[in-house]
Amino acid sequence: MAGLTAARDLLTAGCRSFQVLEARERVGGRVLNYDLGSGYISEVGGQWIGPGQTAVADLARELQVDTFPTYYQGKTVVLGGEGRLEIDLQGTFGTDERIGAKLSELSKLVPSGKPWASSKVNELDKLSAGDWLAQQDIKPEDRSGWDTSFMLTCGVAPAKMSLLHFLSMINSASCDYMKLDSIKDSAQGTRFVGGSQLLCTRMAEQLGDRLRLACPVRAISEWDRDVVTLHTDQGLIRARRVIVAIHPALCNQVRFEPALPEGRAALQRAWPAHSPARKTAMVYKRPFWREKGLNGHTMQVKGPLLWAWDNSPPNGEIGVINAFVVNAMLPSDHQAAQQVLTEIYARSLGEEALQPVAYHDHDWGLADPWSLTCVSAIPPGFWSEHGESLRPPCGNLIWSGTETADIWAGYMDGAVRSGHQSALQALASLRRA
Amino acid sequence: MKKKLLWGAAVLLVALLALFGRDLLGFYHLVTYIDSTTQAYEADGPWPQTADACYGCHGLRGNSQHQRYPSLAGQPADYLKAQLHGFANGTRHFPNMQPLAMSLGDAEIDKLANYYARQTPMDNHTFQPDPGLRQQGEKLVQAGACAACHGEKLMGQGAFPRLAGQGADYLLVQLDAFAQGSRVDPTGSMKAVTQALSAQDRKALAHYLAALAATPK
Repeated sequence: MAGLTAARDLLTAGCRSFQVLEARERVGGRVLNYDLGSGYISEVGGQWIGPGQTAVADLARELQVDTFPTYYQGKTVVLGGEGRLEIDLQGTFGTDERIGAKLSELSKLVPSGKPWASSKVNELDKLSAGDWLAQQDIKPEDRSGWDTSFMLTCGVAPAKMSLLHFLSMINSASCDYMKLDSIKDSAQGTRFVGGSQLLCTRMAEQLGDRLRLACPVRAISEWDRDVVTLHTDQGLIRARRVIVAIHPALCNQVRFEPALPEGRAALQRAWPAHSPARKTAMVYKRPFWREKGLNGHTMQVKGPLLWAWDNSPPNGEIGVINAFVVNAMLPSDHQAAQQVLTEIYARSLGEEALQPVAYHDHDWGLADPWSLTCVSAIPPGFWSEHGESLRPPCGNLIWSGTETADIWAGYMDGAVRSGHQSALQALASLRRA
Repeated sequence: MKKKLLWGAAVLLVALLALFGRDLLGFYHLVTYIDSTTQAYEADGPWPQTADACYGCHGLRGNSQHQRYPSLAGQPADYLKAQLHGFANGTRHFPNMQPLAMSLGDAEIDKLANYYARQTPMDNHTFQPDPGLRQQGEKLVQAGACAACHGEKLMGQGAFPRLAGQGADYLLVQLDAFAQGSRVDPTGSMKAVTQALSAQDRKALAHYLAALAATPK
């Protein structure tokens, strides 16, 4: 999404001499639609936007992609062992708002785009979010909610998540924890009609033959000279500037000649890539749970299911339950995984759940070699050591991608912002040249 | 009057139980489950623990049901330490694991390795082996004397990993990696062993080993 946004900006600025090189045979990166047939889709990757995510919202308006609210009205079901509880969480994940308020206050000290520049960096970056939570007297029944929340938002359990980075994420959300980690009026509150990948396919349509699919870049040489050479599966390409809009950990799979400066190389080597989310979609003829006063959301304590939610189309013409699952607690065989999940949904939503009409299962860690991971589970100490190496260009290489965004890094909004930023950088530097 | 009140209260109680009994029972079971899992969890230390970061791929207490993500339960601590250090220093390659291992200190690596080594390994019950391949794999294991390094029941020992009940896809990827030279073991013997096998042999080994019972030590 970052690369396509940059390309679209270049076109708008009148620049015609560029190519977009996409490794996959499709556009969208970590944004992907699954075609349910009859014009319906379910999102396989990034799918929501929320308050303050103005860059992606603006892009959607320009591309005439409409939005609609995530369905949350009704009761959520919490499962654990043989236990079951229906509870109206009022559009939240049920995490303790008292602790959320403390985090919101602390986040004011951590600038989203530069967490390493926080006045409290020494104090905050040595702690994991788990270290901090352990001091908050959280009851056993609430711990599972925090674990799940971190797994979903940060891609890792609190014990290995940098407190500094987590606070920078809250800082992105107007210093309001509930705007980051909730559903109603939060970063999970709004979806795109036709799915988030529609943004990318519409941008790609505008590029014509300036976009090359199935064209992975294997090596980048002479990046410190006037003309950079890219070694791709479709031959050599030479350019005066290169916008590298891929995940920092994926940069390790590109050979750089000469080697990158040690600071940048160290950042890439250390960039976490251990959050390969697995997301599933169970499709039903209709969203039957809504008639029972349920919102289709299920959370499971120490089970295969992290969180399931109602991912039906805007008018609920068919029923779709999407879920993030614990990879190792669900069989890798999709048929067996479907069986496990339908039984869980039957317990949470009713016997009708045993009769799905389709199932989709996508592990981002295994689906292709070009994703590796979902969100970035930044560990304690990372920003103090590597922060300054995140954005400075190396020769004629301009670093882009959502991880480089000033706000909402890791989100679709961050991708769009970084795309705008990198196009500006490229154009400005070429004009100077 | 008193009798009527008692009857009234009993009827009300029955009505409430009929209306909410299932919900109350469900809530009771949930609370009981959280209590029992919390107790089991805290036996290894207070919440939150470093091992929480591993369970998404390696399963609760190191038992993975996914054929591609390895089970760590019951693996020898020395083997686990060597692998984590190998990921961290780049001698073992896997892009998802390397940065995570780099973020672990020596003490954390020791703690994680000891934690998983003492967990009870479970059988790989989500895998259905091909009977022909399984039989072929058994013969290869016996002919190759795998037990000499990996232990009598292939449950691992010292620097040699547990193979019994491991994920089938994971085993196959590792055997292929040894054969191609992209994974190297300290003795170098795995390269010689795997290069002597055909791709079909390696698949047969994976099927046999994945279906083998994981016997707790």
